[in-house]
Amino acid sequence: VGRVIDLELEGADGETARAELERACDQLLANPLIESYEIALDA
Amino acid sequence: MSDPRPRIAVVTFPGSNDDRDAVLALERLGADAHAVWYAEHDLPSDTAAVVLPGGFSYGDYLRCGAIARFAPVMQAVARFAQHGGLVLGICNGFQVLCEAGLLPGAFRPNASLEFVCRDVELRLQRSDTPFTTRAEPGQALTIPIKHGEGCYFADDELLAGLERDGQVVLRYDRNPNGSVGSIAGVCNEHGNVFGMMPHPEHAVDPLVGSGSTDGALILGSLVDSARARLLTAA
Repeated sequence: VGRVIDLELEGADGETARAELERACDQLLANPLIESYEIALDA
Repeated sequence: MSDPRPRIAVVTFPGSNDDRDAVLALERLGADAHAVWYAEHDLPSDTAAVVLPGGFSYGDYLRCGAIARFAPVMQAVARFAQHGGLVLGICNGFQVLCEAGLLPGAFRPNASLEFVCRDVELRLQRSDTPFTTRAEPGQALTIPIKHGEGCYFADDELLAGLERDGQVVLRYDRNPNGSVGSIAGVCNEHGNVFGMMPHPEHAVDPLVGSGSTDGALILGSLVDSARARLLTAA
């Protein structure tokens, strides 16, 4: 694992949160050319 | 009548540190160089070329260039590039262009895991780009590098495409950082966007550094090309 990022999201249900996090990973948090990512949600 | 001085915009991001050297070098080589703040939404009128300079934009947090690509001015730079405008990214500027998707590939930490700061020998692959017309194909250039994350990466398929389409413009003679294909500089498929890890703006004055002025071949080519576009537009 190269990097672990903890984020707190307010007021989002699991599905919305996952969609937002995937967008954040694809556009900023990870570079898909050199990195892959996994998302784990805690309610 | 003297040759017109083409306007070249040099972007300053928070953390850029080679912007003023780039402005000085371009001015000396005949450009009307303008420093442009990252928060601008537009490039100066009559901009004939854009340079994204070296440095550590946004502290290089997350990945080099990953945050700078969201700077307001980058939308204007992307529009400029998409309309065929000349864009040169140097070191951190190269990393920003890759993160912005304006150039192919990505960067990883140097294979040595150490920052490297020294002159390197480069081999020019093409002189028919707007950034290399003053040099000859196969010509050896001595230009300094200074980076910790200069290990250019493209997967096998992308690399094969870059080689096939002649997008590799500069290679290291002796690979200093583990870059695939010893790549030091690549252009986009249209040839109007070019990124290179070595710093041509640090190799224009014989009294500075090792005395090489080979950087002037790159920046001078850019000034020539920008001027030609100015005259064509007029």
